[in-house]
Amino acid sequence: MTSLSSHSPGALAAICSNLAKACEKQYRTEEFQLFNTLEQYFSKHMEQSVGKHLDELTGLIQVDLNETFVTCEQLASEQGDRGTLRALTWGKKVTSIHKSLLTRYAKQGEKLLDNGDLYICEACGFIAISSETPAMCPICKAPASRFSKVQ
Amino acid sequence: MHAVRNLRLCTKDCLCLFVCPTGATDTETGQIDFAKCIDGCRLCVDACPSHAISLILETYPEPKVKESTIQKALNILLESKVSQEQLCSSVASNSEKATKALATALARSTRILAEDCARESAFMLPQSESVRQFLAELVDKPYGEDFPYDAVKRLLELL
Ligand code: SF4
Ligand code: SF4
Repeated sequence: MTSLSSHSPGALAAICSNLAKACEKQYRTEEFQLFNTLEQYFSKHMEQSVGKHLDELTGLIQVDLNETFVTCEQLASEQGDRGTLRALTWGKKVTSIHKSLLTRYAKQGEKLLDNGDLYICEACGFIAISSETPAMCPICKAPASRFSKVQ
Repeated sequence: MHAVRNLRLCTKDCLCLFVCPTGATDTETGQIDFAKCIDGCRLCVDACPSHAISLILETYPEPKVKESTIQKALNILLESKVSQEQLCSSVASNSEKATKALATALARSTRILAEDCARESAFMLPQSESVRQFLAELVDKPYGEDFPYDAVKRLLELL
């Protein structure tokens, strides 16, 4: 078990929102709400980012794609950890989508959404620009009902 | 094991109501009454034409703790995704229109990726030893006055 002291408030927020979702799926409503309360505390105390522009994200994403995902995948396949491999495969695809969205945004700027809205797959994080709700997630195959429109 | 109804799938045709021997499926809340549900009966599960009812376990087997090497690697990815989320959130709150929308979408999406890392590293099942340890460590942390210690203590009781 890794110690908590190594986690940033943002990571603690993600751990808690992950556990809130897990409780919700088990119909444990009280636990769901309690983990959400914790998530809100940690989100509020997330470090204020120094970054101001979305183009700063591209570099961080490239490090993930070139190194961080690769290391995780190697370890997961050595250990035969199928769950992790599945998550990493989708995670890497979604991260590549982030990269291509940023490339489009660099070219089109504020015109990016002239012909569509942003939709996010709540299951895997895939983001689409589309004039209507996507029928199916191309990455994890979740149905239209798992998409939300980003306002 | 007791039955739970997924309200998103339920089509309200009520076959579960007449097969249930105890009336557990007939409630105002739409959820099945745990107290009346017979352990492992599953009549309503098989009767429902919309596959809206399933049985869930009262206790789960303890998940295997992963190797520290993979936990560490996943934590590095988790922190990376979280710092990207922070960057996107701060851009979202300082911009408008398309930039704001894109930054918001990216922040939500990276959070989902961060949650996947958290789940795979050690936090898959809420009622597990690693989550209880996590909560026990939180109770001992000297966070500020606004930290919801009561929520952590209640979770330790429930899980
Ligand atoms: S049988 Fe299934 S669809 Fe019909 S009311 Fe019961 S849960 Fe809903
Ligand atoms: S499992 Fe049996 S007792 Fe429980 S709600 Fe379904 S039909 Fe009723």
